[in-house]
Amino acid sequence: MLEIQKLYYKIGPQPILEDISACIRPGQLTVLLGANGAGKSTLLKVLAGENKPFRGSVTLKGRAISSHRPQELALRRAVLTQQYSLSLPFRCREVVMMGRYPHFKQTPSCSDQELVRLAMEEMMVEQLADRWFHTLSGGEQQRVQMARVLAQLYPLASVATKFLLLDEPTSSMDCLQQQLCLRKAKELAQAGCTVVVVLHDLNLAAQYADQVLLLKNGKLLKAGASAEVFQPDLIRQAYGYEVEIIYHNGVDFPILLPVFTGSKQSVNAKKIA
Amino acid sequence: MNKPGWIRIGLILLLLLALLVSAGLGALSISPVQLIAILGNAVGLSTEADYSETMSIVFWQIRLPRLLLALLVGSSLALSGAALQGLFRNPLADPTLIGISSGAALAAVLMIVLLTYLPFFSAENSWLSKYYWLNLFTFIGACACSFLVFRLARTGGKTMVATLLLAGLGVNALCAACTSLVTYLANEEELRSISFWSMGSLAGASWQVLAAIVPFTLLPFFILPALGKSLNAYSLGEAEAAYIGINVKRLKWTIITLSTLSVGAAVATCGIIGFVGLVVPHILRTICGTDHRHLLLNSALLGAVLLLLADTISRTIIAPAELPIGIVTALVGTPIFIVLLYRQKKKITL
Repeated sequence: MLEIQKLYYKIGPQPILEDISACIRPGQLTVLLGANGAGKSTLLKVLAGENKPFRGSVTLKGRAISSHRPQELALRRAVLTQQYSLSLPFRCREVVMMGRYPHFKQTPSCSDQELVRLAMEEMMVEQLADRWFHTLSGGEQQRVQMARVLAQLYPLASVATKFLLLDEPTSSMDCLQQQLCLRKAKELAQAGCTVVVVLHDLNLAAQYADQVLLLKNGKLLKAGASAEVFQPDLIRQAYGYEVEIIYHNGVDFPILLPVFTGSKQSVNAKKIA
Repeated sequence: MNKPGWIRIGLILLLLLALLVSAGLGALSISPVQLIAILGNAVGLSTEADYSETMSIVFWQIRLPRLLLALLVGSSLALSGAALQGLFRNPLADPTLIGISSGAALAAVLMIVLLTYLPFFSAENSWLSKYYWLNLFTFIGACACSFLVFRLARTGGKTMVATLLLAGLGVNALCAACTSLVTYLANEEELRSISFWSMGSLAGASWQVLAAIVPFTLLPFFILPALGKSLNAYSLGEAEAAYIGINVKRLKWTIITLSTLSVGAAVATCGIIGFVGLVVPHILRTICGTDHRHLLLNSALLGAVLLLLADTISRTIIAPAELPIGIVTALVGTPIFIVLLYRQKKKITL
């Protein structure tokens, strides 16, 4: 369990995160939401142990996350950042194999090879294995990087003690890939993994989140299950954006429908009808 | 076996062949059979091949130390080049281009001219301590320049290509100006040895010189290739490498220290030999990719092969005179550098 207690973080004099307390449980998919600059990525970096909290703490099983050695953490948590490009030419298979680096010394074992193959298959990039990474499209690069992160976390049997942090993993993917990517994240959560995902797409978040942390200007506006957080006034406060919440027959998650001021009348007309 | 493994075996065979060729060619040519006889004689085997006593002396006293020097210097330049390119995350980071070599050369030149004024450098000092002092000096010069360039080229945790090259240009220009100043103050004998440093040559090879640089060039050779995995991860980005358990800070320090150490030692004995560190890793990356677990060691092998051949050319092409080897490598290396620049412009990073 990841526990955030009275967390403050600042860059220079500028406060980025203020007074955030939350509990991120294993076996759940937690989504971080908020407008641009709300502090989502920074919070994820603090959770990853890269940024040290200015005040307050992030603890993993009672021990501060930043006190773990990087090698030790690498065996227990995987992070997908928004930095996808590689500076030197590598083949995709080599990039995914980098995810296994914490697990072997010089030469990968058969099981390392097998897990790399599995991760590539799951992200549907096995046909790209021998291509140069820098020749891929943005979405393909993102999937290869995601496969690398999965390979680091595997084998599946061990994920219950691990955690996975994803910063906008679907930003360049098409709609099918987005669904597959989050389905995979959800599957890992159901296997007991602690999963935290930063998302921009509210409907995608509503569909997959077990818990949502909604941030505004570095403060925690609301934490809770989808149904508690996806309220028109909370979304308006966080994003300055009008939505209508719909529950469709046979679907157990809320659907967010944008309401533009210009088309308000037509929406009202629909309500009457 | 995988492709880089085959390439390594090929390179080892190529190295043996290059050794054989360069050992035989020169003012006095020695045939392979005679070479084997000379070597065999040294370990107590007598063969029927016929060779003169002069041949044996030329081989042991002149040619062999020179071959070994070319081997050491070539492999350490290429190895440092490959490691620095991994660290700067840029295929253009060659020790000469980014000013490390010229920093080392400036330190060496300063030392030659100021030699007589230095208290610890009296005439009684042995040749070995002189060489170690020189190595220490060039190492300090090389370190100062590499830190300067590394600091200048980094903005917000990223190394920008343009800034890197500009920083190298600036450092090179500064070193050149200082070297000119020192040259202006130098006397005739000092001038000759200064021009030797700026053009590069292996002509000073002897067993003593070898003894002086062996520790500085062998140390990186044992440590750097083991950092292959870390350097691979580092190309994902600094934070990303840390996320897969790489101690980024230690990696940076190890590579900067070891590669400047070996470049410094190479410059101290042979002057500036440019572009080996640029061309060799480039050729290997084009053939079998960047995987540093193979690239570093293969670069060292290919660097040794290329410098051996370049040195053979430089001492035979206008015999009995010698062409400075720095001129040979620059003539071959510059076109490749221009091609690389052109490719980067087109956003194809190789």
